[in-house]
Amino acid sequence: MSKSLLWRATKAVFVRELRSEFRSRQALNAVALFAVCSIVAVSLGLGPLNRSAELPLVHAALLWIVLLFAAFTALARVFVVEEEQRTAAALRLAAPPHAVYLGKLLFNLLLLCALTVLVAVLAIVLLRMQVRSPGPFVVLLVTGALGLVAGTTLIAAMIARAASRGALFAVLSFPILIPMLVTAVRGTALALSGTGWDRCMAPIQTLIAYAVAMFVTSLFLFAYVWED
Amino acid sequence: MGERLAMTAKISLGLAMSGIIYAMFLVVPQYVGLGEAGRIIIVHVPTAWVTSAAFAVSAVFSILYLRSRSGLHDASAVAAAEVGTLFCLFATVTGAIFAQVVWGTFWNWDPRETSILVLLLIYAAYFALRSSVDDVPRKRRLAAVYNIFACVTMPFLMFVAPRIADSTLHPNCAFLQGSKCEGISLDLNGAKIGQLGDVVVELKAVQKQGDMTSATVEVRMPGLTDTADLIPTFDNAGQPADRPEFPGQSFRMILIEADVPAGTARVNIQAPGTGLLSNQRTLWVFMASNLTFGFLALWLYRIRATILHVTSLVQTTEAL
Repeated sequence: MSKSLLWRATKAVFVRELRSEFRSRQALNAVALFAVCSIVAVSLGLGPLNRSAELPLVHAALLWIVLLFAAFTALARVFVVEEEQRTAAALRLAAPPHAVYLGKLLFNLLLLCALTVLVAVLAIVLLRMQVRSPGPFVVLLVTGALGLVAGTTLIAAMIARAASRGALFAVLSFPILIPMLVTAVRGTALALSGTGWDRCMAPIQTLIAYAVAMFVTSLFLFAYVWED
Repeated sequence: MGERLAMTAKISLGLAMSGIIYAMFLVVPQYVGLGEAGRIIIVHVPTAWVTSAAFAVSAVFSILYLRSRSGLHDASAVAAAEVGTLFCLFATVTGAIFAQVVWGTFWNWDPRETSILVLLLIYAAYFALRSSVDDVPRKRRLAAVYNIFACVTMPFLMFVAPRIADSTLHPNCAFLQGSKCEGISLDLNGAKIGQLGDVVVELKAVQKQGDMTSATVEVRMPGLTDTADLIPTFDNAGQPADRPEFPGQSFRMILIEADVPAGTARVNIQAPGTGLLSNQRTLWVFMASNLTFGFLALWLYRIRATILHVTSLVQTTEAL
């Protein structure tokens, strides 16, 4: 298959996802509300925190826990919907597997980036999270989101036809995401406490390496998940 | 002939296992600072090795399954994962018991504890996936894919885990890539807060008194259950002198380097148990134990793989 054909098919899958999302706004509504609820719950539960040396780590951990669970609720949808609406077979005929994977991955990435912006803004406003190094903070969030999406999109395809999908998605994704999550939390804590680029580069590099490794492995394995 | 060979192998395995248990309690000497608890490494370390090996074997058979779609390869992957889970539980439980007796805490997110917990979670997720897909070929395919996918994340864990804690209670660091077990450097004018295991440490002062150099380090135990100021010291020759115990624990803090004018200090955890294998008797029992547990796992794996394969063949025949 030529490169441009794959790209065209990928774009078609991505645009289709966007269009169906714009029509129903199911994913965005559910996930945005989930994010708002969890940040509000965290803020109410914690109350005013004392300023201490550990505060950036607490904020970073809370931020990533909220993002992780929002991702668990949001990212499985792209494949589950195909099974629910019985469109999976048609999609199998219409597009090559790699295009399906890439299209859905791009859509998930867009969704998660929107979600990350929302969660970060809410955390800054409601939790009074102070970002002392904005540059590294943004890059860490973006590379973290890349890792989250690369690590979960293949799993989303796997659980689409299994029983008790929601719980299974979290159970299968969590061990895969632990290395990425730990790195992201530590890195974000550094960025929140005002550490410069030089020391934030190590977690950023690890996150990028993780995202690339997961992405390439997923490309190799997706055809096996998507067949039949 | 084959049957007799199998019987001989089985009996020798039983004898070897009994020998290991006998040697563990009666041949291996006691250790200063560890007491009777030190004997547990004869079981703990081999089971941990077998766990990692079984995980790798399972991943290899998963790759083979995706290429061949043979039921035997799937059965082998499952059998290896099952043996791995069993030994993983053994390693975790024996390790936690040892940690409680010797280090004063069941669990402290030591890098190896973290990685074995993740391995346990991956095994659990693998079986959860298998049990929630009904269609047999799809179940096998998805499980194989998950196994390979999880295997790809393991190097990251090995790479990240040593950085979670700059120090480990485990005696040697040779097997942990990237970890040098050199302790953590703290700087009064910069990064004065760090972590040793899951204990937060904050450098308060570095001073010289006579021929001793000392650092005042505030330690905050997990959950802020305890805070204390520890003052480890080293003497003129650079040898650690005072090694204060962490509050409520039985591991100690040592001062490795300190620069009074610059306000920097490097501190580390020192746990009893270092240099355990330098004793010849312990070393030989340990090696024999590795071998025996390896064969035990192999034997369990063979039986389980055969049973699983035959069962699935019978089910397919019945369905036809």
